[in-house]
Amino acid sequence: MERIISLPYLKPVGRQNYTEYTNVSSSKQHQKEDENDDSQTGINKASKGGLIYGDYLQLDKIVTSQVLQSELKGNKIHDEHLFIVTHQAYELWFKQVLWELDSVREIFISGHVRDERNMLKVNTRIHRIVMIFRLLLDQFAVLETMTALDFYDFREYLSSASGFQSLQFRLLENKIGVQHNQRVPYNRRHYRDNFCDQESELLLHSEQEPTLLQLVEQWLERTPGLEEDGFNFWGKLETNILGGLKREKEKIEQKPASEMKEEMMAELIKQRDIFLSLFDEKRHDHLVSTGQRRLSYKALQGALMIYFYREEPRFQVPFQLLTSLMDIDTLMTKWRYNHVCMVHRMIGSKDGTGGSSGYHYLRSTVSDRYKVFVDLFNLATFLVPREWVPKLDPSEHTFLYMAECCDSSYCSSSDDSD
Amino acid sequence: MSGCPFLGRKRQLFTSKPSQAEEEDESQKGINKATKGGIVYGEYLQLDKVLSAQVLQSQQKGNKIHDEHLFIVTHQAYELWFKHILWELDSVRDLFIKNHVRDERNMLKVVSRIHRITMIFKLLVEQFAVLETMTALDFFDFREYLSPASGFQSLQFHLLEAKIGVADHLRVPYNRRHYRDSFHGQESETLLSSEQEATLLQLVEQWLERTPGLEKDGFNFWGKLQANIEEGLKMEKHKLEKMEDSEAKEDLLADLNKQTEVFTALFDPERHEHLLSKGERRLSYKALQGALMINFYREEPRFQVPFQLLTALMEIDMLMTKWRYNHVCTVHRMIGSKAGTGGSSGYQYLRSTVSDRCKVFGDLFNLATFLVPRAWVPKLNPNIHKFPYMAECYDSSYNSYSSEDSD
Repeated sequence: MERIISLPYLKPVGRQNYTEYTNVSSSKQHQKEDENDDSQTGINKASKGGLIYGDYLQLDKIVTSQVLQSELKGNKIHDEHLFIVTHQAYELWFKQVLWELDSVREIFISGHVRDERNMLKVNTRIHRIVMIFRLLLDQFAVLETMTALDFYDFREYLSSASGFQSLQFRLLENKIGVQHNQRVPYNRRHYRDNFCDQESELLLHSEQEPTLLQLVEQWLERTPGLEEDGFNFWGKLETNILGGLKREKEKIEQKPASEMKEEMMAELIKQRDIFLSLFDEKRHDHLVSTGQRRLSYKALQGALMIYFYREEPRFQVPFQLLTSLMDIDTLMTKWRYNHVCMVHRMIGSKDGTGGSSGYHYLRSTVSDRYKVFVDLFNLATFLVPREWVPKLDPSEHTFLYMAECCDSSYCSSSDDSD
Repeated sequence: MSGCPFLGRKRQLFTSKPSQAEEEDESQKGINKATKGGIVYGEYLQLDKVLSAQVLQSQQKGNKIHDEHLFIVTHQAYELWFKHILWELDSVRDLFIKNHVRDERNMLKVVSRIHRITMIFKLLVEQFAVLETMTALDFFDFREYLSPASGFQSLQFHLLEAKIGVADHLRVPYNRRHYRDSFHGQESETLLSSEQEATLLQLVEQWLERTPGLEKDGFNFWGKLQANIEEGLKMEKHKLEKMEDSEAKEDLLADLNKQTEVFTALFDPERHEHLLSKGERRLSYKALQGALMINFYREEPRFQVPFQLLTALMEIDMLMTKWRYNHVCTVHRMIGSKAGTGGSSGYQYLRSTVSDRCKVFGDLFNLATFLVPRAWVPKLNPNIHKFPYMAECYDSSYNSYSSEDSD
């Protein structure tokens, strides 16, 4: 497609007639004329027709959607406007997060992620989601300028409207990978019951389509270096750890008997048990079935590989991705917790407008059952001394320096930029 | 009246901590009201409108660029918050304009709302970090589809500036035209009105002029202050002159002279008028006195909340300056020295707005020039001077539980 070079790339030449601007009051302004000249170059294009700001952003829709229920019912309460605008801002950003999330999921689903040139895009967008969540966290401070007393004045007009009916928030949770059977039940009903048929459909789809967690899991399973007939990271790691533990044991046994020796031996046994559990695939699968672990055994190996070798060129961006995924979990937990604290301050132990137990229900959602990438956090349990990490030989193990860029669909200035 | 908050609460206020099972039950209590009719979340917030307002120009032109969505949403979020700031600002201006502010019970409301505006501005400054996840390269991919739309056409931003009190004649011209030329019809009217109605600055100025304690036939703060300062400076001079001659003595005397000049200027009303006419000062001489009075006596019960108000007003100026500066930096990163989509010089124009001429409450900042040792501040005698303890609460329109016009 031909690119039309339009006006913004040409710096306008010539200046407007200075006398068109009246009200030049002080000498100070004349002094600054030289300085202002650069700032004054250009023409005002708004007068020439074409898309303007307000139309581009459809502000007629946005800034007319604040209708106070208290006002409709004849008792306008000032602070209701803040309540409305805050929630609308949250929903705008939820939409943006879904936009980024879906685009990343698509890169994985379509297989484009196999072309490693797409990793920057993936990482950037996940990181952008993190930045948005940080903002959403800061946003609570604004709503907290409303006191419980002021909220009380209009709460009655909200009747059964409740944040629990936020479609986008549920979609977000589902698409990231919150498991519906891990959800805290809401008045012992299914969370989807809150929504009309059309929205309920959307939610169902979001449960059934590949989640970010599942896509990342498959990607991790493909981590180069896991191949048993190749680098065989897992086999080598197990050997090294067992060897390392054995040497530690011998060192301790050589010490003269003492209370400290007993303690050190006990400590070593604990460590050994932890590492043995790491290499127990059956145990892992059991924990997956109870929902305590979410990633497959192979994916876990991939993640640990990326952790240990994060400085190798091929793993640098993947490592950043894993970090950002954990940031998302952390921020969502903080968001839930901030929300709980604020609700508690606003309504104490009263019921929620949607009918739930309010504070108590929300508090129960600040838990690990909503943590999606919990396994990445838990990898910190299995960190080992650097010497135990299987050594790499650059001349032999070239896979760490060579990326796959085979996907013909990749195009850095793509027609279908998404 | 629907949904009485007190119904359905069987639990006592103070009980022992529930057991695990009990706690789980606790979280399950309640009924799901969404199924019973009445307004739901999405309708309450008119999400059908809000969430269908994102139309990518790049997509319309057949070349969808992913990052344009972020660009749109970021600006829409800004405009949402601008709307709310205007809501708070107008309500405060109204309290002053209707004279409700003379009933000092309304001061809490005033300060809370101005403080809320500063909290929103803090968020808006932080919001840049989200847009900064977009690279100049990605922006380049869709920028051509934006022209001639430009932030300069943001009506709400200009309303905000006008209502706070950014001086029209001090505005940096935009391509040497009046900024109002960018707007037409209804919007231009609205802007014109906002410039002609009382601004926050003007209302605060009138309020400051009424500060108790300024009355010449009363406490006469200014007269007393001038006397104390002159006396204080005289004593300092005596002390220094008694010193042995030395370079240090010379330096100290020079400093004292400078100080004396500063204070002489403070008590020169003509000089103040001159600076006012140049736009270097914005508050009247009397208002300045009121502000200094509140500063010096901020711990007196009657002045505590007014002092918080003055602090919050300076906070607004600081945050708006930070906002402008952040904006400049982001724009510079995005387009370098290219011209803006609206036709301005872009970065150069924006940079010129990060200046004291766009500051509204600069005089409050400058009060720090005139701080004096505590001993020089005219003393208050609680038996004689009752005004720092007694508030005016006579306005019959004040109603702390007003149901008619809570605004």
